[in-house]
Amino acid sequence: MKMLRRALVALGIAGMVAAVLRMRGTGGTPPQEGGWRELSDSELT
Amino acid sequence: MRFAVLGLGAVGARLARQLVSTEGVERVVLREERRDRVVALGESLGDHAEVDLSRYDEPVDADVVILAGPAGTHVEAAAAFVRRGQPVVSVGDAVDDVRGLLDLDAEAAERGVTVVVGAGFAPGLTCVLARHAAGRFEAIDEIHVAKAGTGGPACARQHHAALARSALDWRDGGWVQRSGGSGRELCWFPDPVGGLDCYRAAMPDALLLVPAFPGVGRVTSRMAANRRDRLTARLPMLRPPHPEGGPGGVRVEVRGRRGAGRDVVVLGAMDRPAVAAGAVGALSALWLAGGRVSRPGASGLASLVDPVPFLAELRRRGVRAAVFQGDATERDVEQG
Repeated sequence: MKMLRRALVALGIAGMVAAVLRMRGTGGTPPQEGGWRELSDSELT
Repeated sequence: MRFAVLGLGAVGARLARQLVSTEGVERVVLREERRDRVVALGESLGDHAEVDLSRYDEPVDADVVILAGPAGTHVEAAAAFVRRGQPVVSVGDAVDDVRGLLDLDAEAAERGVTVVVGAGFAPGLTCVLARHAAGRFEAIDEIHVAKAGTGGPACARQHHAALARSALDWRDGGWVQRSGGSGRELCWFPDPVGGLDCYRAAMPDALLLVPAFPGVGRVTSRMAANRRDRLTARLPMLRPPHPEGGPGGVRVEVRGRRGAGRDVVVLGAMDRPAVAAGAVGALSALWLAGGRVSRPGASGLASLVDPVPFLAELRRRGVRAAVFQGDATERDVEQG
């Protein structure tokens, strides 16, 4: 019984750590310069 | 020209509206499992629209058949129409549908029929943008596609399911399956969408781009998702999807060689996904009916259309492509 409780606690902690790691942070930094512009007529003829 | 639109969700309804408002279109047959919806749409589209309460795969008198139904309905219907010698346009974005439609290539080619696969926002517009960007290179090394936003409820369900399924990437001459929801990367979409974290997901873009660009080394695709999407991806949707999502975007990054150097071109577009998908699907059907797509077999738009006039016509219909100028690439982050 004690072993089962420990296993469940360990699984719970592992799940929480995995969830935190999965959710936090971002995927990079935004571009430092530049931007979008619509394709011009000359690029579409 | 006569068309049949099978499936009248957010994309199919827009597509049908695009067709009936195009000069030279005599008739658009509308089929949809929801009787109330097809009748209401038929009344709103006017004289050129004809309501047909038959099943999707039953014979229909049309120059081009457009499949805009939910995921899982495209392959059998397309096979039936190919056997009858009718060209087909599918706007489906489910991996299984795209794979099944591409499997019709040999039969379609033998019968001299064209099947346009993935003629929506992503895939679809992404394929055309990739082809356009590729024109600036002598050889293509990598293509990376990202999309943000959803169209109607079926698209939202597909988005939700895709994040929980394996992604299909092309790497150094072979297919690689990666875990859905992994590979976070900040992708910068045209304004006002802006920067969004994107993740691997079950998207079919690579299936269409790899055959279109022989020799390409890497093709990947990602979709934008928020924290709730990722946390709940493997659960049923917690609340019903919106009738239609808000603004979305696509971004196509192409890396290649030009002369002695390597360069990157990033193209994109911003629109409501269902609106843009409807325009791309309608234009694909019009080009097919007008003989501007002549290659028989089943393939994506990157293999079938000249991107410059296609994008010019899309712009006339309100879907505008853009190019990123500046320090565009963040591909060094989170490649795991």
